[in-house]
Amino acid sequence: MRISDRRFALYLMTPAALFLAVFVAYPLFRLIADSFYKISPMAGGPRDFVGLDNYVRAFTSEAFMGAGWRTLAYTLMVVTLEFALGLGMALLFTTLGRKSEIWRTVFLYPLMIAPIVAGLLWKFLMIDNFGLIGTLLHQAGILQNPNQIGWLSNPDIVLFSVAVPDIWLTTSFMCLVLFAGLQNIPGDLIEAARLDGARAHTLLFRIILPLLRPVIAVALVVRGIDAARAFDTILIQTNGGPQSASETMSLLIYRTMIRFGDPGLASAMGTIYLLAMLAVAFFAVATIWRPGKDT
Amino acid sequence: MSIAKTRQAGGGTTSGNAAPDVAYRPRPAGVVHSSSSPNNGPEVSTTGGNGPRRRRHHAEGLEAGKRSTRTLLWILLAAAMVLYGFPFLYLLFTSFKTPIDTIAVPPTILPREWTLENYTNALGRSGVLASFINSTQTAIISTLLSLVLAVPAAYGITRYKTPSGRVFIMAALVTRMVPPVAIGIPLASMMSSVGLSDTPIALSIAHTTISLPLSIWLMSSFFEAVPKDLEEAATVDGCSRLGALWRVVIPVVSGGIAVTAIFAFLASWNEFLFALLMTAIRSQTTPVVIANFQTQFGLDWGSMTALAAVYSIPVILLTLLLQRKIVAGMTLGAVKG
Repeated sequence: MRISDRRFALYLMTPAALFLAVFVAYPLFRLIADSFYKISPMAGGPRDFVGLDNYVRAFTSEAFMGAGWRTLAYTLMVVTLEFALGLGMALLFTTLGRKSEIWRTVFLYPLMIAPIVAGLLWKFLMIDNFGLIGTLLHQAGILQNPNQIGWLSNPDIVLFSVAVPDIWLTTSFMCLVLFAGLQNIPGDLIEAARLDGARAHTLLFRIILPLLRPVIAVALVVRGIDAARAFDTILIQTNGGPQSASETMSLLIYRTMIRFGDPGLASAMGTIYLLAMLAVAFFAVATIWRPGKDT
Repeated sequence: MSIAKTRQAGGGTTSGNAAPDVAYRPRPAGVVHSSSSPNNGPEVSTTGGNGPRRRRHHAEGLEAGKRSTRTLLWILLAAAMVLYGFPFLYLLFTSFKTPIDTIAVPPTILPREWTLENYTNALGRSGVLASFINSTQTAIISTLLSLVLAVPAAYGITRYKTPSGRVFIMAALVTRMVPPVAIGIPLASMMSSVGLSDTPIALSIAHTTISLPLSIWLMSSFFEAVPKDLEEAATVDGCSRLGALWRVVIPVVSGGIAVTAIFAFLASWNEFLFALLMTAIRSQTTPVVIANFQTQFGLDWGSMTALAAVYSIPVILLTLLLQRKIVAGMTLGAVKG
């Protein structure tokens, strides 16, 4: 007995699909269901159906709206800086050619480091008193006092400080992807532009970046999704503080669920967060990618 | 890095997408090199002999030609590498300081006195060695689980481009957007209801929810590169479709499977949030132990840097040794299509 190709393909996909259904879709379903209940944090405690009450509480809470804006600011900052640095490094490696290959490999090493380790390392570098960065800037004569910049204690700049390990960890990824994209730009195209007298910046903005567009879209969307979920590095550096100034959405949901023991509210927040991520991701894909519209 | 796959999957539905897909399909490394090789011969010999360098950018695309420009770029690269590599070097140096020097004010870059005290402190602490075993166990189970599920699924998606396959790969993309914090608690309560709470198996299942979508995308791009004639020839020779997959296709993509395995392993090895939510004492992994150094024992920076070094260096070395394959995997996953 020979089954059809279509059925055979289905059989091959079934185990993975079942796994995702049981361990991702079902927990998500539970999350969404929980968001309509007021749940006692105690195991076996009462569950009362409250309709959209948790959503109302989320949208009217200052913490939630603040965390939403901070997550957006954090994501934009991380992705922009990573893109600028990653593109710079990718261009550097491309213009240096194959002799820089070994350094390209070395440049990848942060990708293997656990975010938790990266967060601790940068906390150690930026911490008040015995942090190295303040001391070095002081010794270089830039700061009068090693503690002049409270990297992790000043609410105005802490969101930037907690983003640094994330940027440090994954600029390599951005560089790698953009570098691969650069290798696919036909050399004769660049040559033709140069013969026409194109200068470096014309080359970059008129030829290289438009041609890289699909690759850039992939890199930005992938990193954007990851940055919007940032948790480890921020938790370990500041735990959302000082005064919630670095509390992003993942941290707020975590704390609402674990520390404040309000699973219903946390589930509503999680649901909104997930929907927002999906909406932004699809919007980004549709606008940056524009499949089939150009290039 | 893998959203590219959906672009590819979407390419089948919108016909306008076909042209850019072809235009941006990365050429295999061999093709890229061979296209420039006629000019590489003389170039290698001139640099080797220290002779005058020709302006070469005509055939080299973006590569800089002028010697002065190249020198400047090398200096720039050196500066970037120092800035980029320094933080981890500082972690290593710090791990060899004495515990008191670790938090000296002002801090020094190099240890005044090199000692292994931080290492003996960190590794001698109860639970640390056990956490290494837990981390290894969890990562290995999760890697195997990912591969067993992802390899057939990716093959089904790429070889038989059915509508269900396209739906499935879109669903896998959406899975990647789910914040772990949203499903961690329901997952943990599911695990405890089947008596698996606080076990490496429960945690590795949770980690597989992260690595499975990634593995499916990666494996799909590797299968995509296998010529279809290969298994057609095998089926003509009397192999069943499953037999052709197992005996003909799998050996061809074994490099890709290795890359996927490394990614799945790293994803589990470095994961923190699920580990924090789902483990207590028995199955705690090292990232959770490292994080606990901070709260439980005060701020023991010395031990923390030592443990972080011990935890990071094996995977850095392993992946750098296999770097060619990894770079291939990353770029396949990201740029393909």
